[in-house]
Amino acid sequence: MSGIDALLAVTTFETDEHHPHIVIDPAACRTCPSDRACVTSCPAQRYVWDEAAQQMTFDHVGCLECGNCRLVCDRLFTGAEGYSWDYPVHGAGVDYRQG
Amino acid sequence: MDEDVFDAIVVGGGFAGLSAAYRLATAGRSVLLIERGSTCGAKNLTGGRIYSHALRALLGDRWQEAPVQREVKREVLALLTETDAVTVESTLTSAQQESYTVLATPLLGWLAAEAEQAGAMIVTGTTVDSLIVRDGRVCGVRADGDELEADVVIDCEGINPLLLEREGLIRRLDPHAVAVGAKYVYRFGSSEEVDRIFGVRPGEGAAVLGMGAVTQGVFGGVFCYANTDSVSLGLVLDSVGWKASGRPILDTAQALREHPALARYVDGGELVEYGAHLVYEGGYDTLPAFSGDGWLVCGDAAGLCLNRGFTIRGMDYAVLSGIAAADTLIEAGPGRPSAQTLAGYGDRLDRGLLRDFRATRGAHDWMSSTTDLFTVYPRLAVDTMAALYHVGPEPLTPVGTTLWRAARQLRKPVRTARTLLKGVRTL
Repeated sequence: MSGIDALLAVTTFETDEHHPHIVIDPAACRTCPSDRACVTSCPAQRYVWDEAAQQMTFDHVGCLECGNCRLVCDRLFTGAEGYSWDYPVHGAGVDYRQG
Repeated sequence: MDEDVFDAIVVGGGFAGLSAAYRLATAGRSVLLIERGSTCGAKNLTGGRIYSHALRALLGDRWQEAPVQREVKREVLALLTETDAVTVESTLTSAQQESYTVLATPLLGWLAAEAEQAGAMIVTGTTVDSLIVRDGRVCGVRADGDELEADVVIDCEGINPLLLEREGLIRRLDPHAVAVGAKYVYRFGSSEEVDRIFGVRPGEGAAVLGMGAVTQGVFGGVFCYANTDSVSLGLVLDSVGWKASGRPILDTAQALREHPALARYVDGGELVEYGAHLVYEGGYDTLPAFSGDGWLVCGDAAGLCLNRGFTIRGMDYAVLSGIAAADTLIEAGPGRPSAQTLAGYGDRLDRGLLRDFRATRGAHDWMSSTTDLFTVYPRLAVDTMAALYHVGPEPLTPVGTTLWRAARQLRKPVRTARTLLKGVRTL
């Protein structure tokens, strides 16, 4: 385990696998107007762009809920169709012990 | 008065929200605070240092019971190149109980217990879905399918104020006004080990702020704080500047831990947490409306964070704004305050903490546009000191020559002087 996985492994999460609080449209991401800045600007590296498959994947589990993707992605920022950014519900998501 | 209607509903149990709730509850008001984290503090992340004047204003002498980490007595400003550093160290033992390193989660957990003891009702693990707005007036919140009503909603939801943005009550968060921060916490076996690493007397705190090559020319900096038995290390990067750089933020965050001038503070520690949070840095001219009909906004949600390069303040302003919000309602007396009464909150801020923001107008623009701060100047400082300390087989270089060579590295000395003068004026 290395890189981001090792970092997120020490941070506590109340994981809700089934209800992503951030939603993107992987197909629409192919025509990204924001230089796919989510990939480089997410401190938890939750966005991965597969150049060969022309496919964006996003994993909400491990999201630190900072909100930087909402700012760097025009579609998340404006709430374009297929894109939304919310806080997790029912105490799910990151659960800092140090903060 | 309707029994089901709270005097105030506070959204968010961070420094601003808990301060407002504590103050209102102490004055006998009915307060419901709703926090989306499993506990108050579970979603909060700080660099972490708090200036104690705000805690004193909220809690009186009891602030001394707050679980802060170490009292800062040693301040270090570091200019960094890829491998080297020049640091300016200030040992300020005359500062008495002025600031403390902190970890946000335990401190907020304690503050939540204080607010509850004062009579505030706190509900955790509950995310507010939306505000109830009737005829342009905010009347309460919707959460978990329930509608909860209050005379006033105090929005303390943090730097991403989704509720207010969605209702169009405040401007959308401007990416140009925001930086992104990432932080590691390393735990050590004992507090003595942390004393030794930072070269401080037992229990004394230290704060390191650095700028230079680590942010690769982008407006930002690094921080490192000595906690009781742990060390916080992190960096803050201008969101828009970093996006434009196209570099992965994580690589830079990882490189931070390898920098010789910073690694010395965390080597041997056990990584116990990695987190990220946005920092508002827009300054006075970018601040939103502070109130409207039925609502007030405090803390990060109101943009009340100030970065001057050598100090970064947010938590103390969050506490003070929470106090100001509560005092506005207490002074207004019972019942539904008018929008005009609530505007008194902005006036309170104006007479109080906003003076700091007015005095530093333009600081953010100056720092974000003066890229030499993060490239040329640190390099110059390091090269000059390296040349002064260098001894080799060749004849020595006179000090005057070394300084002259350094000065010539500044491509446009007059413009540099003018830029620096502007910086002094804005900071």
